[in-house]
Amino acid sequence: MIVLPAVLAVASLLLPPAIVQDTLTVFAASDLQLPFGAIVPMFERVTGQKVVLVFGSSGALAAQIERGAPADIFFSADQGYVQQLVDREVLYRGSDQVYALGYLSLVTRRGSGLMLRTLGDLAGSGVVRIAIANPAHAPYGRAAQQAMRRAGIWELVEPKVVLGENVRQAVQFVTTGAVEAGIIARSLAGDPALVAIPVDPSLYDPILQTAGFVRRTARLELARRFLAFVTDTAGWAVMQRYGFARPTSP
Amino acid sequence: MDFAPILMSARVASLATLLAVVTGTPLAWLLGRHRFRGQAFIEGLVLLPLVLPPTVLGYYLLVLVNRSAPVGQLFDGLGLELAFTWRGAVLAAWVGSFGLFVRAAQAGFELVDPRLEDAARTLGRSEWSVFCAVTLPLAWRGLAAGTALAFCRAVGEFGITLMVAGNIPGRTQTVPLAIYDYVQANRMAEANALSLLTLAVVGLLLLLARRGSGARL
Repeated sequence: MIVLPAVLAVASLLLPPAIVQDTLTVFAASDLQLPFGAIVPMFERVTGQKVVLVFGSSGALAAQIERGAPADIFFSADQGYVQQLVDREVLYRGSDQVYALGYLSLVTRRGSGLMLRTLGDLAGSGVVRIAIANPAHAPYGRAAQQAMRRAGIWELVEPKVVLGENVRQAVQFVTTGAVEAGIIARSLAGDPALVAIPVDPSLYDPILQTAGFVRRTARLELARRFLAFVTDTAGWAVMQRYGFARPTSP
Repeated sequence: MDFAPILMSARVASLATLLAVVTGTPLAWLLGRHRFRGQAFIEGLVLLPLVLPPTVLGYYLLVLVNRSAPVGQLFDGLGLELAFTWRGAVLAAWVGSFGLFVRAAQAGFELVDPRLEDAARTLGRSEWSVFCAVTLPLAWRGLAAGTALAFCRAVGEFGITLMVAGNIPGRTQTVPLAIYDYVQANRMAEANALSLLTLAVVGLLLLLARRGSGARL
């Protein structure tokens, strides 16, 4: 019994390391899960390099990077977290870039029989729970909260709001039928299990999705190529398909 | 299906269990064979990681081993970076499973009849020899049960690992973290496969441990 873990431990150490050391590690906001899932294989084919994707809420990823997580490049869903890490000298100054404009969608589960036309309908009795990402560390959650405030329904719907750990989890709450409606990133609203309508963009501040390079990285050149690939023809076509817009040049 | 999380879990859980056995056996012996001042305090400390929220443990561990903390810098200097590496995952699983091993092993040591040890002493055995030839073999059921419990707990470790090692595919992602990712990405078939595998491995181990320990678990 006691010999077993010892044998296993030795065996597992003899196994080759699970990953090759020379991979690009991309920390990306959860709203990028679908487009990056398509873009990364394209990038790997073109460059012959491996990419590891780590998703989470922008705030959670920023906190991990600040404590030394081995990211090479950070794709936040907002500008604030990148700015914060630049100020704390975790990301390179002056190299950060707004790579896309994101949007909010209001979603319900297909076949739920619920017909929502505006945010105001969330206050109706047909909606028992509303999923959004946690505004404390997820930019899309913050935008969703802002939209409900500006629509004048926050006080009415606040008790119904359920927080996902990140925007991807908020989507999962809706697709599994755990909640009736969600305010999520447009990039995740194309799920065939969902019915989506856009949220009026005047109800929330522009979602300026920003990327920055981690100072500790040994793969700055590859990281630059990846960012260029995302904003370039091939990558950008995918980003557009998932509803992102070009940032207006400053 | 990606096998990296399974390999990672095998490595992390077995190393953590080995660490728990090596560090926990002397403590379990001390607690099980002796009475001393402050014993209740130490037993409380051993229990603490079992009852504290994993996030609290993860937070304190991260504070301890991150790159700007003295302990973290010490390990960095040795080339054994802990935070956000697989070693950090081993640390997390060890902290989570240490108490379980000690509790079960201590119970095993407590059942050893001291007269048998005394008999060995009268035959001129050294203390170390008494421990190896008498105490340890008589306490083995508790040790075996503790090892199995510790391994199961290490396989299942999630919260501490997430905070100390993150969730990086191929680098720190163990089976429970991969399941979490699969569910969020709506890849239910993979989540299902990994969950079933975990259930089978842990279930089988518990069964074996119960048999081995005479169903005292």
